[in-house]
Amino acid sequence: MILRHGIKLDQQKAASLRHKIQDLPTAENQKKTEWLPLRKGELNSNAIIAAAQAAGIVDEFDGVPLFRKLKKLRRLKPDMIVACCFDEDPCTTSAMATLRENTNAIIAGLVLAGKACGAKENKIAVATKHEAKMIQKINPQADLILAGEMYPARALLKRKLFANRKNAAYIGAQACAALLAAIDDGEPQTSTVVTVAGDGVEHWRNVRARIGTPLKELLEFCGLSEKTSLVVTGSSITGRAVTDLNEPIAATTRCVIALKKAPNYKEYPCIGCQRCARACPRGIVPWKIQQEMQNAKPNLVRLTNVQKCIRCAACTVACPSGIDLTGAVRKAAQLKKSGDFIDIT
Amino acid sequence: MTLLNAKTPYLKKETSVSSMMRDTLTALAFLLVLPVARYGARPLAMAAVTLVACVLCEIAWSLLQSRSINTSDCSSMVTGLIIVMLMPLNAPLWLPCAAAAFAILVAKKPFGSTGHTPFNPAAAGMAFITLLWPQRIFSYFNPSAGEVLPVFADCNVETAPSPAAVLKNGLKPDILPFDMLWGVFAGPVGATGILVLCACGLYLFLKRTANWEITAGCLFAGAVMAALWPRIACAPLTSIKYELMSGSLLFCAVFMLTDPVTSPRTGFGRVLYGLLAGVLIMLFRRYGAYEQGAWFAILLANAVVPQINSLVCGDRRWGEELYEE
Repeated sequence: MILRHGIKLDQQKAASLRHKIQDLPTAENQKKTEWLPLRKGELNSNAIIAAAQAAGIVDEFDGVPLFRKLKKLRRLKPDMIVACCFDEDPCTTSAMATLRENTNAIIAGLVLAGKACGAKENKIAVATKHEAKMIQKINPQADLILAGEMYPARALLKRKLFANRKNAAYIGAQACAALLAAIDDGEPQTSTVVTVAGDGVEHWRNVRARIGTPLKELLEFCGLSEKTSLVVTGSSITGRAVTDLNEPIAATTRCVIALKKAPNYKEYPCIGCQRCARACPRGIVPWKIQQEMQNAKPNLVRLTNVQKCIRCAACTVACPSGIDLTGAVRKAAQLKKSGDFIDIT
Repeated sequence: MTLLNAKTPYLKKETSVSSMMRDTLTALAFLLVLPVARYGARPLAMAAVTLVACVLCEIAWSLLQSRSINTSDCSSMVTGLIIVMLMPLNAPLWLPCAAAAFAILVAKKPFGSTGHTPFNPAAAGMAFITLLWPQRIFSYFNPSAGEVLPVFADCNVETAPSPAAVLKNGLKPDILPFDMLWGVFAGPVGATGILVLCACGLYLFLKRTANWEITAGCLFAGAVMAALWPRIACAPLTSIKYELMSGSLLFCAVFMLTDPVTSPRTGFGRVLYGLLAGVLIMLFRRYGAYEQGAWFAILLANAVVPQINSLVCGDRRWGEELYEE
């Protein structure tokens, strides 16, 4: 069997990458950014972490404050630090656009982050060879690795580097750029790049918006259609439907998708095609978990690997029968954690 | 503007059960091209009548059970077309319909439709009519006689023994290799065009609708059996050639064995299943009462699938490097 993990998704990145990142106009009465005092003295690990803390930088991929992440990494001593400049989601391009426009800032920020946690190698992970060529043109010194276009790219990259015996740490592209801004200019992280996509908006754009701006403003800036019936933040696979457009943009909001019609899946019984097991980057066999969870009393021994699930939902996307396999695995993980042998609801 | 609170995922999927079934239908439809080009519209008429019969049976069962009628997954059409492909072209049109009715009403629907069938419905239908009308199933018309077949009416045309029947009698089939590849010999409608079959198989494997492990296992087992115990006195390679290209072994290996519902769910289990089916098909040819009994072999192999599934542990995947989160 050809060991190829993950699933190939239909990429729709071209539309939002055609334009440069645009700034969302801010309201008049909004408070001006308070710049931080510039740091003086030697730039060592402690100073970088303190600057990240003062600037309030949050890693946009996992929502962890950067200073906490760097402190943890300093303790773990990784060999390599990787800036994730690719987007797993088929219509998100915020990380790619940030890299294209701030290549040098991201490289400098990555070097700083590497210095803070003591990593010797710095690498920038991009999705495709085409993208890598483009970045090489901007900065020939950029040290690039390919993450590929299979979903979930981040987990698959982690797997690949782990198999190559590399102890790697991962950091977001925007966090890298924000770290450099914080150290060079004393600028706190107040804005984030968000991709707006979907058939419910007129213009697919990458927009730099202030953190805390309501989603409504962002969507209206891109020409929100009246017929939109579903707004998703995060990603089209693991994201969350928003019912109130006054919800603010967070540092972790990389993508907002407005759809006119919610996709409708017909659910069929499992046909045993094994696509879910092939898609899973964590070695879970989701159909088996689902089968076991359908029993009145699931046997915990048979729920193998469920605690390793990273909720990437690749299995659910891969399933041709439209079964919610991620839900089954999550339930199994909860069951296993709780040690509840008698009753589950 | 009211916003929905829909469930994830929010993207349109490329593969669904119905798209997989449509892939199979496309591949099966390609098999009809050669017979239609050669013998006129009769194959098309046969396919149409059987498809209608399949859908009617499905609707009838839904009405009987007072459930909502749902034929969107196309699985009954796949069953119907597979049955047509295994028929001789001169068979009366009610024969594939009888097989389809048995397949849908007895082998598929009572077990709970797609995803729950323990036995391949098409194989069950073929086995049913083979037991009832063996002379009609195995009397193939002679393609080299050049007779025109009527589109709908029953036809009384000159018949010729198929290569499988010749082999069963211990003789060597007298067919040119080129004719064998293009399917110019007496045999089932869709199972003779070896080149088209290979192309369709490749299409299904590349689309990942069918699993190549099963087909490879089956063909390997068939080839080994043919080489080690040839039925006719000839070189092992000649024996392999005739055994693999005659009858419906290749067709069954590509379209019937690879049905994901009735095949094992682990890679190793699939290879095992393919090997078992290949050996059984060859044993049916050698010792069976009929010139070939691939569908009986498939039914027997299907019966072993639950055992293979529980025998081969599929909880963990081998050779995996997992990082710690």
